[in-house]
Amino acid sequence: MPVPATAPRRRRRSRGGDTPIGVALLWLGPALLLILGVVVFPAYELVKAAFSRYSITGLRLGDAGTTNFKNVLDHPDLITVLTNTVIWVVVVVALTVLVSLALAQFLAKDFFGRKVVRWAIIVPWAASLVITAKLFTLIYDYYYGTLNMILQTLHITSGPIDFLGDDRWTMPSMIMVGIFVSVPFTAYVFVAGLNAIPGDVYEAAKIDGARPWQTYWRITLPLLRPALVVASVLNIIYVFNSFPIIYTLNDRNPGYLHDTTITFMYKLAFKSAEKDVGMSAAAGIFNVILILIVIAIYLRTLKWQEQED
Amino acid sequence: MARKMTALIAGAGAAALVLSACSGGSGSGTAGGGSSSGAAKVTSIKLVAAEYSKDHTAAFWKQFADKYKAKTGITLDVQVVSWDSIDQQSSTMIQNNNAPDLLNLNVYASYAKDKLLYSADEVLAPAIKADVLDAFVKSGTYQGKMYGMPDLSSARALFYNKDLFTKAGIANPPKTWDEFEADAKKIQALGSGNIGYAMPLGPEESQGEFSIWTFNNGGDWKTAGKWSINSPKNVDTLTFLKKLSVTDKVTQNNPGKTNRAQAFDLFKSGKAGMVVGFSPLAGALDADKKVNYAVAPMPTKEAGGTPQTFGVTDYLMSFKKPGNQAAVKAFYDLYYQKDQVNQFIKAEGFLPVTKSGLEIFASDPKLKVYLATLPNIHLTPTDDPTWDKVKLAVQQNIGAGVSANGDPQAVLTALQKAAENGG
Repeated sequence: MPVPATAPRRRRRSRGGDTPIGVALLWLGPALLLILGVVVFPAYELVKAAFSRYSITGLRLGDAGTTNFKNVLDHPDLITVLTNTVIWVVVVVALTVLVSLALAQFLAKDFFGRKVVRWAIIVPWAASLVITAKLFTLIYDYYYGTLNMILQTLHITSGPIDFLGDDRWTMPSMIMVGIFVSVPFTAYVFVAGLNAIPGDVYEAAKIDGARPWQTYWRITLPLLRPALVVASVLNIIYVFNSFPIIYTLNDRNPGYLHDTTITFMYKLAFKSAEKDVGMSAAAGIFNVILILIVIAIYLRTLKWQEQED
Repeated sequence: MARKMTALIAGAGAAALVLSACSGGSGSGTAGGGSSSGAAKVTSIKLVAAEYSKDHTAAFWKQFADKYKAKTGITLDVQVVSWDSIDQQSSTMIQNNNAPDLLNLNVYASYAKDKLLYSADEVLAPAIKADVLDAFVKSGTYQGKMYGMPDLSSARALFYNKDLFTKAGIANPPKTWDEFEADAKKIQALGSGNIGYAMPLGPEESQGEFSIWTFNNGGDWKTAGKWSINSPKNVDTLTFLKKLSVTDKVTQNNPGKTNRAQAFDLFKSGKAGMVVGFSPLAGALDADKKVNYAVAPMPTKEAGGTPQTFGVTDYLMSFKKPGNQAAVKAFYDLYYQKDQVNQFIKAEGFLPVTKSGLEIFASDPKLKVYLATLPNIHLTPTDDPTWDKVKLAVQQNIGAGVSANGDPQAVLTALQKAAENGG
């Protein structure tokens, strides 16, 4: 950056002390306003709502104390919902990372038509989640679904499977869609990670006589670690917060049998017999705490491993 | 360092995502009635209208707003909202103290209970109230005062596929449940994916499907002012519906998890022999010209019973806000003019709510099957605020009663308990 010769010295001397607070605020203003409007204000409203008693019309009736939190914790379906959330997040993120690792290896290679393949893989990422989810309700349909048609034509199954209505199939079907929409982003993070690994490391491994699998296990994966961390943390958050897939694919099923904490929260506020905004806000606060704890544990575990190394 | 930064950003991102998911729409209120501070007369009012159809709803309200402006000088801001999100949006508006002046919804009693609404005495001309069909005045009345002004109504009847009936050798639509069961079996026996009866008991509108069946068995949600959800008649009805699904296997797969739209799709594809439908379904079938169908009154449990028609009406309720009373009254004056209300109802394919409207629609032979029963139409207890919650509980739970291991008695008793405890 071209700076007048005298400027650095002056700045060093004053250590930023002589910038008037007004000027600083002027520069920081837009960012601060954005944070206030997008993060602080909603957070304040959420906490306020969690401690309020609401009519089902949404009218605030008064203070609720901690009743809303108690009601969430006492909810008969809470265990089901939490179990669903754990299965949903763990399975989707784990399988997404595995599939993406394989896909990234493939995409990092130079081959004819790579550009087309790369574009094709971006599509599910670029499409709106609601549209993707609606599309899958058609694919999974019991009567007209293409998936059932294919399975029956190939004689893999004798009759149609009710992917979205049969309790055994609902979660696996949703997980498939979750993976489908998470893979593109994850694969691209890994492609970037693979490209960042310098070629001479592989050369050295070759000279030392490492087998391909050894090279992958000892060199590629460890060097891909930053990309793996970023991809898993972001995926945990995305998948945990994923609303449209579960809401759309599960909309025909009564009750909370296949809901995660996010759709549970929405149904509490607007769809269930509770129809209670305050209780939903309390569930929302639990959600934030839950995801922060999960991320903290994940990063802490990584740090320990790093120290062991 | 980079990792710490990522975590920080990630954490903040997660918080923001969850938070914004919760408070969605808090910034969306553009306060049409914002100028109504103080007792001064408003210069604009806001209507939040439900979207009955993409083609007609917005178009109708646009011409309505123009006429309203010309007549009163007051601007009418119209926000058309889809049925999927109208509960959420209206709730958010009330939460943020940003209620519209008029709201078009399928419930009103909870709002009346919260003392948010004008009663008919305040905003509806007596001549208009007298014109509204008595059944709808009754359903719109909470604690002796009318708050729910009906915007349109619909009635359910039995739709049957004439081609499938002919193929199965059935001459006439069923008049009793026994006939219904026998006919459904015959159609199911045709094979090649044909379904006797498409039964939607999924969470979208299962209270409607159950209502029409149990009303024709002499059952009801409330009897003499008391909840009667687990009455023997209701249990008998749900047991019959379970039998159709589980024992006879004459319904589509998983009726407890099928929404109305999916059941209609089955009928529209010509695969289902029968479905309970209403006039908009007839409109869609007429446009498709694919299914040769007819409409008949619902079969009754006992032979020789009078078919009960299950009806639904939606409401245009008005919120008490300083200075908007005259503007709201002018809104109703214009809406209930014959050429407005009936134009809307006709475009959307629904049924009239006024006595004068009944005369206008009487000439339409297609609506004959519904209109005859409209004055005696059987509604759900929308005048009880508890119903607003009970309805949601019914939607979420009644489907479980027709699953293979479902227990109709237990499901209805749980709902009865919930209703007695205030929903």
